[in-house]
Amino acid sequence: MNDATKKRSIAPVFWLLFGAGGMLSALFGPALILLTGVMLPRGWGVPERFGDYAHVLGFARNPIGKLVILAVIALFFWHGAERLFLTLKDMRAGPLPLLRLATYGVAAVVSLVTLTLLLEIGF
Amino acid sequence: MSERRPFHRKQPRTWWAQSPYVAYTVRELSGVAVALYGAILLAGLVCLARGPDAFARYRQIVASEASLLIHLLLFVAVVWHVVTWFQTMPKTIPKLILHGRPVPQARLTAASLVFAAVCSVALLAVVVVVGACS
Amino acid sequence: MSDVMVRSKTIELRILRYRPASDAEPVFATYQVPYSDDMSVLQALQSIKDTQDGSLSFRWSCRMAVCGSCGMMINGDPKLACNTFLRDLAPKAVTIEPLQNFPIERDLVVTVGDFVKKIESIYPYIVPKVAKSIEDGAYLQTPGQMAAYESFADCINCMLCYAACPQFGANPDFIGPGAMALLQRYNGDSRDGGQQRRLDSISDEDGVWSCTAVGICSEVCPKQVDPANAVNQNKTKSAFDFFLRFLRPKAAQ
Repeated sequence: MNDATKKRSIAPVFWLLFGAGGMLSALFGPALILLTGVMLPRGWGVPERFGDYAHVLGFARNPIGKLVILAVIALFFWHGAERLFLTLKDMRAGPLPLLRLATYGVAAVVSLVTLTLLLEIGF
Repeated sequence: MSERRPFHRKQPRTWWAQSPYVAYTVRELSGVAVALYGAILLAGLVCLARGPDAFARYRQIVASEASLLIHLLLFVAVVWHVVTWFQTMPKTIPKLILHGRPVPQARLTAASLVFAAVCSVALLAVVVVVGACS
Repeated sequence: MSDVMVRSKTIELRILRYRPASDAEPVFATYQVPYSDDMSVLQALQSIKDTQDGSLSFRWSCRMAVCGSCGMMINGDPKLACNTFLRDLAPKAVTIEPLQNFPIERDLVVTVGDFVKKIESIYPYIVPKVAKSIEDGAYLQTPGQMAAYESFADCINCMLCYAACPQFGANPDFIGPGAMALLQRYNGDSRDGGQQRRLDSISDEDGVWSCTAVGICSEVCPKQVDPANAVNQNKTKSAFDFFLRFLRPKAAQ
């Protein structure tokens, strides 16, 4: 097969999303898990009221807060989607189009849902 | 030449569970854990959009013992993601030449792990300080 | 006076045999080989061929880990037979099989034609960035510029990395770590101007995008070539090229 017949792969789109999500989670993931999963619910090190409806809503209504929430949820899902797709492919768990739908498809839906909810919540 | 009959050995279906590939599979699954945590945050956003009652119920569940265990497991998995991420990262860039010699990849990994630790600690510090001052 | 070391102990070698004219499929054969502490696995194979079974077939040449001929699976790991010593494997039996992920031609000899085609396909020669005639003098290169591609030039084409790579095992059309190391040897050379055409040759699914960064190719490499670096830095380049290609001047394509 010579170069002219080689079809360029669209893998770069998913790989860059995977990379962004991987870097974001590598830099802030451990802190976020401790914060939202351990510290806030129990009031350890941070006031418990920071996690109540009013505070979280205030954060989610702030434009910067919206960007943060969108980036974290969407990119974490795109990162996990690529990893899960490749792992399922390694395991020969099913036909590739189905695996893509179950991974990339879910990440796409999640990104859309997150954006929609953030807009619904208002400013 | 007429005797040629190349024999194809099939790749074992479970190669990913056998040595030396187990470490790689574990590394990939640690990346999936990142999305599992993202799902917990998504659930929170959904409940937030539903209103104060739904969000209060979400907070209750997150404050439970089971949730604490899940978060600690996810924490371990994500820390493993961080370590393996920066072990792999130097492979994705051209060799860094300093003073005429390539910088050892282990040094790049160590420097980025320090940077990642600083980032996570800084985030926690900011929240703690804001909380203390309010 | 004989200067050959006395071989007073024996070791068992289990070797996967395959003779296409007579065997339906590969079968293990066992040999007891007298050995001394200085012997390599290659010497054990030669001892079998010389004194026990002349039909045993295997590739070898330099005996010193520079030609890349004697790659095979030794106790399940891809290794050079001339560089693997019986003293480190004894007293347990040693299992020897042809290099994983390749079709078996005969005994420990695998089919290498596809690998050769892959090396040929990545423009394995300097495409001068600046044309120079002999009278203009030599192309100059600093030690730092050479360091940028040096490790990739050390590849001896032994294919241990292909045996280690599970994505090559799953997809035999994957360009693979060895060919990518050679590609990066040229793309990383300051004298070369052929980067774009090489990048174009590996931006398809069977190019760099079959790689999932398992990384074991670099671990088994006997020459510290670091093929994983060659493949993965070109993922980064291919990814950026995917989006930035629309900004390239028409002539460069």
